[in-house]
Amino acid sequence: MGRLSMLVQIAWRNLLASPINLIIGALILFGTFLFVVVGGLLDSLNAAMARSVIGSAAGHVQIYSAKSKDELSLYGSMGGDPDLGAVTEFPRIKEALEAHPNVKEVVPMGVSGALITSGNTVDVALEELRNLLKAKDGVVDRPEYKNLAPAELDTRITASRRHVRQMIKVLDADQKKAAAILQDKAIDPEVVAALQKVSSDDFWAGFDNDPWGSLEFLENKIAPQVTDSQLLFIRYLGTDLDRFQQSFDRMQIVDGTRVPKGQRGFLVAKLFYEDQLKLKSARRLDKLKDARSLGRLIATDDELKRFVKENKAQTRDIVLQLDDLKTSEAVTKLQGFLKSDEKDLATLLTAFFDTTDENLEVRHGFFYEQLAPMLQLYKVRVGDTLTIKAFSRAGAISAVNVKVYGTFAFTGLEKSPLAGTTSLMDLMSFRDLYGYLTADKAEELAQLKRETGAKQVTRESAEDDLFGEGNTVVAEATAGVIDEKKEFTGVGRRLREDDLVRRVYSDAEINGGVVLHAAVILKDPALLSKTIDELNALSTEKNLGIKAVSWQQASGLLGQVILFFRVLLVMAVAFIFGVAMVIINNAMMMATLQRTQVIGTMRAIGAQRTLVLSMVLVESVVLGLVFGGLGMLVGSGLMSFLHSHGIAAPNDVAYFFFSGPRLLPELSTANLIIALGIILLVTLGSTMLPAIIATRVSPLRAMQADE
Amino acid sequence: MNAIVSIRDVVKEYQLGQTTVQALRGVSLEVLKGEFLSIAGPSGSGKTTLLNLIGCVDTATRGVVEVAGKDTAKLTERELTDLRLNTIGFIFQSFNLVSVLTVFQNVEFPLLLQGKLGGSERKAKVMQLLEQVGLHTHAKHRPSELSGGQRQRVAVARALVTDPLLVLADEPTANLDSATGNQIIDLMKSLNQQKGTTFIFSTHDHKVMQHANAVIRLADGKVLGRESAKDAVAHALSLGEAAANEVRA
Ligand SMILES: Nc1ncnc2c1ncn2[C@@H]1O[C@H](COP(=O)(O)OP(=O)(O)OP(=O)(O)O)[C@@H](O)[C@H]1O
Ligand SMILES: [Mg+2]
Repeated sequence: MGRLSMLVQIAWRNLLASPINLIIGALILFGTFLFVVVGGLLDSLNAAMARSVIGSAAGHVQIYSAKSKDELSLYGSMGGDPDLGAVTEFPRIKEALEAHPNVKEVVPMGVSGALITSGNTVDVALEELRNLLKAKDGVVDRPEYKNLAPAELDTRITASRRHVRQMIKVLDADQKKAAAILQDKAIDPEVVAALQKVSSDDFWAGFDNDPWGSLEFLENKIAPQVTDSQLLFIRYLGTDLDRFQQSFDRMQIVDGTRVPKGQRGFLVAKLFYEDQLKLKSARRLDKLKDARSLGRLIATDDELKRFVKENKAQTRDIVLQLDDLKTSEAVTKLQGFLKSDEKDLATLLTAFFDTTDENLEVRHGFFYEQLAPMLQLYKVRVGDTLTIKAFSRAGAISAVNVKVYGTFAFTGLEKSPLAGTTSLMDLMSFRDLYGYLTADKAEELAQLKRETGAKQVTRESAEDDLFGEGNTVVAEATAGVIDEKKEFTGVGRRLREDDLVRRVYSDAEINGGVVLHAAVILKDPALLSKTIDELNALSTEKNLGIKAVSWQQASGLLGQVILFFRVLLVMAVAFIFGVAMVIINNAMMMATLQRTQVIGTMRAIGAQRTLVLSMVLVESVVLGLVFGGLGMLVGSGLMSFLHSHGIAAPNDVAYFFFSGPRLLPELSTANLIIALGIILLVTLGSTMLPAIIATRVSPLRAMQADE
Repeated sequence: MNAIVSIRDVVKEYQLGQTTVQALRGVSLEVLKGEFLSIAGPSGSGKTTLLNLIGCVDTATRGVVEVAGKDTAKLTERELTDLRLNTIGFIFQSFNLVSVLTVFQNVEFPLLLQGKLGGSERKAKVMQLLEQVGLHTHAKHRPSELSGGQRQRVAVARALVTDPLLVLADEPTANLDSATGNQIIDLMKSLNQQKGTTFIFSTHDHKVMQHANAVIRLADGKVLGRESAKDAVAHALSLGEAAANEVRA
């Protein structure tokens, strides 16, 4: 005890005597600080991201077919979604995996994407009118037109007709404006004639005599004049919705309801719903308001300026939504609000959307209180039936109608594009779209093909054609090839669809088909890597044909991001400590050579070599511990400050990495211990050589006069 | 067996490049317990070499060196170090205190190496020694705050704190003025008489020499003989005069 404290005292006083130790100390301090703080931040980021990934789709472990061409990558990779083999024996696999003591639940999944078309505004309005007229005739194609009372039906038909007429009025005005600017020859006389015809009161007076003919004329001659139809790529995760909702408890329904147990249904990711399906003007107003609340200024911010500009320019979406009554109502409201006597709605809207930092709040409020109730804010509403078309794996186009029950978001990840763009679909619809068939269906189909002599497109080549070059092929093909009307005609088909929407599937049916991958939820996530090894062993043993990977691996590149930064940190810290080692080594070498007489004296009066060795080592360890300790202290201080204040997510992408709007970094004891280990290693390592040289100093050196 | 040091036919050679320098050419010597012995001789005669062999910090090329009954040639490096720690005390020409330690800590150092005594016992022992050398009031000072004589007193205290059988001092007064040097020799002598510790010291100074019980005279690596202090002083004086005459001539 006394000896050690003496060695420490000698070390301490030697250290104070030499200014180079300050430089070494500063390096050690900085290196330790960096390690503790950045290491802690990365740990926290990793943990937060783990929560995001695990909680939003991946679960702790993902399993997929061992025969897959690509590795599973839940968030997609460079070339679109990975090519996974089908898992055909899911019930057996699920049972086998759930027998493992650490497995809580296995949730079947499949990720895919499809295009949905939102027809142009006129098409949509005409479609509505057509559906209403059909409903009046007792023909119901879509569930939302069912059970409408005759009185309500009449009101809606009247409103719908007014709407179409108002649209025509707008288009006619547009056309007249264009005619004034352009030369006559640039305008198609047929269009002019058509517009003239449908603008006339005669056309509408005769509408009821030949509703179908009139509608067709409108659809063929007028609708094509509006070119605002949109193809939207929608990404969805097909899953056992019930299990998903139970296992991923961060998932919250935002609008609407859950999909009833066992039923087909669709839940739109809230962010996608807002970004892609909301009326653009409204979305931009929201974004402006968000940005303002974060302190950004329209006056100086280019993005915000662009939003305002677009809002002022793109008023047509709103104008075309309103019938004549609502148009004049909106005009009156806007005239009052803007204190203007302008009569044109588009001009009024342009003035209204000229928002500034000062008036944004008020106009945002006015928009939602006064204008929004007259508008359809979202292209797809809760309760609508969404038609999704995709290329099946067999190369054919398949389409399903799924009812949108609501929107959802993951708590804390509401703004994250990574977590907020994948919608949820029931597994049955997913399978229909994806085109995997159950074994008996496949047999039935094969039989049919043999009979008809249909030439089977080989699956391999079809896949390459369709999926090989990403989504562009799909987009073009879909836009050109599909004829919606041909796809959905026939009473039989309609009845089947109807039946499908209401049908409740059993667990066995849901699990019974093909799945692409599955999330495995663990009871004790700490045993992750051990469990993965065991699940893989289990697969080999029971011939399950699956591969188990961690959430990190399953998230593809995303999972590597933190690893990348960790490597950077290790390199930076290694560099700093490397420099420290070189300097320590040099300094201690010099010090040892300067102190040979003292060392010789100690040896002469009876100090063993081991004491000399420990004397030199203790010196650098004391140096390391003092400054390293300071570094840890400062680092821990900063971390606890950050922990209590949190770091706000700088942008939407960061929400995913922060697993919420704020990251609360946690100081880990493990990091402190590792830092301590590194300090000891560095100081001891760099002093070893000088220390050994010190032990070689002869006691004779004591007798020689100090030069 | 009263001899604490017994040296027989010791030769010490140094290799200087191609040539071999014989620092000691067959030295035999016995030192008895309680002696206060001086080693004298001209520069280069081998005084330091002889003391280093006795002090176990160097080994003889040939011959036997026994210290406290042990043949030093047969001891390992560790055992030699232990022998130095427990049996021998050293006083150096240039004091050799550890500058970063206090007076107290310097004296305590060998006790810590021994690790035999507890803290309070150590303290008592150190303070007792410091009192004996008259520096108990300076316990907390650093060596740099002391005069040369005071530093050498601390060194004396350090050499004696382990109660060694033998204390070796190679020219302990060479870096001191003669009055202070005499005080140091007086101090050593009194400790020799109080404790019976054997002292062997080398010196050029005949005034220092005269305090010794006996003087071993070395010349050219050989023992010329063992004389009483008085003879030795006379001898030294005549040599000194001869040397002075030489210079004059
Ligand atoms: N390390 C060494 N290497 C080579 N020769 C040495 C070494 N140490 C001593 N010698 C030689 O051995 C001889 C005896 O030297 P030593 O130091 O013992 O003499 P000394 O009597 O102590 O002299 P001084 O009175 O000057 O201290 C000298 O000739 C010296 O040159
Ligand atoms: Mg000498």
